[in-house]
Amino acid sequence: MPPERGSNTRKKLQNARSSRIGRSHLHMTTTGMTELEATLAALSARFDEAVANASDARALDDARVAFLGRSGEVTAVRRAIGALPPAERPTAGKLINAAVETLEARLAQALARVEDAALARSLEDTIDVTFPGPPASLGALHPVRRVAIDVARYFTRHGFAVVLGPEIETDANNFDALNIPPDHPAREGLDSFYLRPDLVLRTHTSPMQVRAMRTHPAPIAIIVPGKAYRRDANDARHLFMFHQVEGLMVGPGIHFGHLKGMLVGMCRELFGASTDVRFRPSFFPFTEPSAEIDVKCPACAGLGVTAVLRQAQDDNVQCRTCGGSGWFELGGSGMVHPSVLRGVGYDPAVVTGWAFGCGLERVAMKQHDMNDIRAFIENAPGFAEGLA
Amino acid sequence: MRVPLAWLRDYVDLPQSPDETVARLATLGFPVDDVETRPALTNVVVGRIATLEPHPNADRLQLCTLDVGAGATLLIATAATNVAAGQTVPVARIGAQLAGGLTIAPRKMRGIDSQGMLISAEEVALPGAWFEDGIMQLEPTITVGTDFIAHFRLTEPVLEVDVTPNRPDALSIVGLARELAASFGVPLREPSSQVQYDGDTEDARVTIETLDCKRFVFQRVSGVRIRPAPAWMRVRLALAGQRPLNNVVDISNFAMLELGQPLHFFDWDHVAGKHLIVRDAKDGERFTTLDGQERTLDERAIVTADEAGPTSLAGIMGGQRSEVGDATAEVLIEAATWTGPRIRRASIALKLRTEASTRFEKSLPLALADIGAARAAHLLEQEGGSVAMPHATGKPASAPGWVGLTPGVVRGLLGFDVPDDETERVLVSLGFAVDRTGPELRVQPPYWRNDVLIPADVVEEIARMVGYDRVRAEVPAVQPQAIDSAEFDRETELATICAGLGYTEAISLSLQPGGVAERWRASGIEIPTPPEILNPLSEDQRWMRFSLAPALLEFAARDRAARPYRVFELGHVFAAAEHDACQAAPEPRETVELTALHAGGESAFGRLKSDVLALLRRVTGREAHVERGTYPSLHPGKTAALRAGETLVGYVGVVDPRLAKAYDVADTTALATLFVAALPRYRMPPYVEPSKFPPVDRDLAVVVPLEALAGDLVDAVRSEPLVRRATPFDQYRGPQVGAGKKSLALRIVLQSYTATLTDEEADAAMARIVATLRERFGAEPRAAGGPS
Ligand SMILES: [Zn+2]
Repeated sequence: MPPERGSNTRKKLQNARSSRIGRSHLHMTTTGMTELEATLAALSARFDEAVANASDARALDDARVAFLGRSGEVTAVRRAIGALPPAERPTAGKLINAAVETLEARLAQALARVEDAALARSLEDTIDVTFPGPPASLGALHPVRRVAIDVARYFTRHGFAVVLGPEIETDANNFDALNIPPDHPAREGLDSFYLRPDLVLRTHTSPMQVRAMRTHPAPIAIIVPGKAYRRDANDARHLFMFHQVEGLMVGPGIHFGHLKGMLVGMCRELFGASTDVRFRPSFFPFTEPSAEIDVKCPACAGLGVTAVLRQAQDDNVQCRTCGGSGWFELGGSGMVHPSVLRGVGYDPAVVTGWAFGCGLERVAMKQHDMNDIRAFIENAPGFAEGLA
Repeated sequence: MRVPLAWLRDYVDLPQSPDETVARLATLGFPVDDVETRPALTNVVVGRIATLEPHPNADRLQLCTLDVGAGATLLIATAATNVAAGQTVPVARIGAQLAGGLTIAPRKMRGIDSQGMLISAEEVALPGAWFEDGIMQLEPTITVGTDFIAHFRLTEPVLEVDVTPNRPDALSIVGLARELAASFGVPLREPSSQVQYDGDTEDARVTIETLDCKRFVFQRVSGVRIRPAPAWMRVRLALAGQRPLNNVVDISNFAMLELGQPLHFFDWDHVAGKHLIVRDAKDGERFTTLDGQERTLDERAIVTADEAGPTSLAGIMGGQRSEVGDATAEVLIEAATWTGPRIRRASIALKLRTEASTRFEKSLPLALADIGAARAAHLLEQEGGSVAMPHATGKPASAPGWVGLTPGVVRGLLGFDVPDDETERVLVSLGFAVDRTGPELRVQPPYWRNDVLIPADVVEEIARMVGYDRVRAEVPAVQPQAIDSAEFDRETELATICAGLGYTEAISLSLQPGGVAERWRASGIEIPTPPEILNPLSEDQRWMRFSLAPALLEFAARDRAARPYRVFELGHVFAAAEHDACQAAPEPRETVELTALHAGGESAFGRLKSDVLALLRRVTGREAHVERGTYPSLHPGKTAALRAGETLVGYVGVVDPRLAKAYDVADTTALATLFVAALPRYRMPPYVEPSKFPPVDRDLAVVVPLEALAGDLVDAVRSEPLVRRATPFDQYRGPQVGAGKKSLALRIVLQSYTATLTDEEADAAMARIVATLRERFGAEPRAAGGPS
């Protein structure tokens, strides 16, 4: 408020000045002049006192109004000129104008003084920057979606498409087309919820491989994030509903090295640039050769114990993220089985390809060092925000 | 599978450190899930009880002198009752470390210095209940003075090895030893199957009446005295998690764990008619398995029957009637091969999974039956049995077929070449035959690898042995393709904008208990029938979700302390198939919805609506149109339907008060649902050049009938060409405007593209607007003026 008030005062001063332009020189009698000079001197003294007492722009403006304003003291003196003989009037006017100029200069000085003082005070002022402001209105993506988006960003950068598919799937797409005939032992661990004898809730995102290849000729390069269901009870490590991302690339000359290249890149993107990835032989009916993907634990750099604990030289305390093994399993992968390719109308003599699948909750758990998967479906207040 | 390292070492020389074996198993495709370490055990020797006499000062103690080799004897007082002179027993010497941290110190027992302790199985960390009460009994064949711990390798860890279902051959100690021998480049010591045949199994008859019995080897062994198995066998079984019972039963378990071929032994005297018939079970047939359970069978199972009915559940479990017991004089070894899927189906139907069924369901090779029977016969002979020549019925074992590797197939799949010499070396080490005489390399898998059928299978074997680390990572160049990411991009955009608008994303379970739908119906809300899960594990999983709203309402009620509460979910919702005459099997409906909930704060409905409209504007590129609507879950009088162009894209409204009550949330809680598939593709909005002339703001308050909609008034106001924007900013119901009426205040921005509007022009435009509103809505102006 005071600075505005001050600048207001400054404007008014300028207006007052411009209104005086073009005044003429006049003669004046001695007695009248002396009286006027005395009046002006007294006025000036009172003005100086008022200005000196003013500690802020508002008080200065009051002084301006009282002395220099339209109905101020100077105006009263000016009006008194009318009582002087006409010959003296010009001199009187000159005297008054000179006095006004002096007053205005003093006022300007005083104004500069109080403004400087106000600025100095303002610079001294502090606020408690730690006092919370009103809450921001920013929500959060669920960490599972965040991981899916991160994975998708990596693969789309390399030219892959991201496709989605239904959660209700035919038994044929979920199993048979993936080289898992009925009563195959590989159905162990893929225990499925049935809606009808021929309809299941997909136990993995892999049936989208089949759907995509049936509707699109090779070459094809896709990833498929989405929900999958397994007939399990929820516990700290399992949810009967969870999320996976599937990857598939088929075309002429596509080999295991390409799978490795893409997955190493993905893991570095998800777990840090120095992440190591290891492939281990495994078995999935729809890939041959098959590989399990192991990631060197980002929390302990593969040492099995965390840095803090190493400093304490307490080697017996394991890294929680990898359970002390230094590596954790990320998912399964392999070269698409020729039976799967033939089944969707691709010619395995012409094209080869790879596929992988991994759990999105698992990725998020490793990234955030979580040990209970159930947190992802509890949706506790602050959960998603905390991990965003 | 539990694999005692002690047992593995019987067949292959492994590195000293268990870690190396564990790591090697993993690179071969057999990850070790757990390493069960064993306690440190020291200073236990094999001793023979030379003399045994009562303790002079204690009735319950006896004094033994023990020969512990090299002429040394120990005097030990013992309270055990199963000791006798001449027994061979483990003796803990002074200083010995035993299980549970027990250390043997010199001590006086009733005045006599005892120089050690005779020990039981428990003291060397074997399950006490699985061994004899009291002192462990050893065979006299073990040399006195032998280091007992080292001899039985009692400190070696037990590995929990994960064996994939394609490798039933590796569900055995020898199978894993074979893999390790090939990988470490050391020989495999195969167990002996040598026997001296005594006669033929001529009196037994086996008839196969089912296609799913591939081969049935049978062999008679007589004269085995039933007693505890030798200590080395009992220790190995116990470490593998198999409880020792008697020598004959233990031999069948031992041979199965050792070689992977499950065996069944009949008490031959209890097989009626000495005739076994292998046939499909009959529906409703009853039969008691050797675990004492009476089971009702159906045709999915296969039984081995004699003339009195079923006597074994083929491939799964034996029967009580012909079970080997203390009185058994003669056993008939059965080593069969079954169609894997058939055994799996039967085992699942009976909810009975056994060590045998988990192996048989993976389709074992025919040759293994003969090998398993021979090994069991050898072991029974060691127990004093007299072994007859085996007989077999069913298919003869045949060698697996040759697989050709066209040049380039390895490079094609792996991205690098493996020289033929190396290919031959690694495959031969795995037992494959390799033929390099033709234009392509041909390989024949060994009998135990009936999983290797096509070139890709062979390539995996090569890759496994040379190591997956040899695969060079290479980033592929992706070719242009027709498939696009539109659906995912749309969902990502919706979720990201919702999060930006202040909503937190939830993911709730899409399977629900029946109570959810019941609660909605009980509240009078009409909902589609959700699809039902036929085989839920619990009632909580029986129904698929019909809406995302129930979960969000539950969260809002649960987290009532968090206000304002803004949450959304983007996911699939389901409805049961509707019966349709045109469709043979109608499909359940699966659609993608986005539901958002806003609870607490000022005007939850207004805020949610603004947020949803902003979201729609951003993702579709156009302003959505708001009109009255009704939607299950929303208040019938407080619901807006949202249209993008002509397309209905969703609803926003205040929660149905009946649901608010049922879920115990505030009745001001607002919900919005968008039908994601209905959202039109983004349309690039055209550029509207701003006018160079100043706008004029006017406020207009009108009194209109209560049912008039602000949105309709705005549409009418916008029909005046000078109107740029019209925004309702206040509404009032009350005595000042009269019953059945309300006052609506609109801020109207007038602007011309051609000139600065004069007051007169603006007044004229406002007059036209008022006339329109009067005509269309019966509106009466209350007061007019510029912005205050
Ligand atoms: Zn770690």
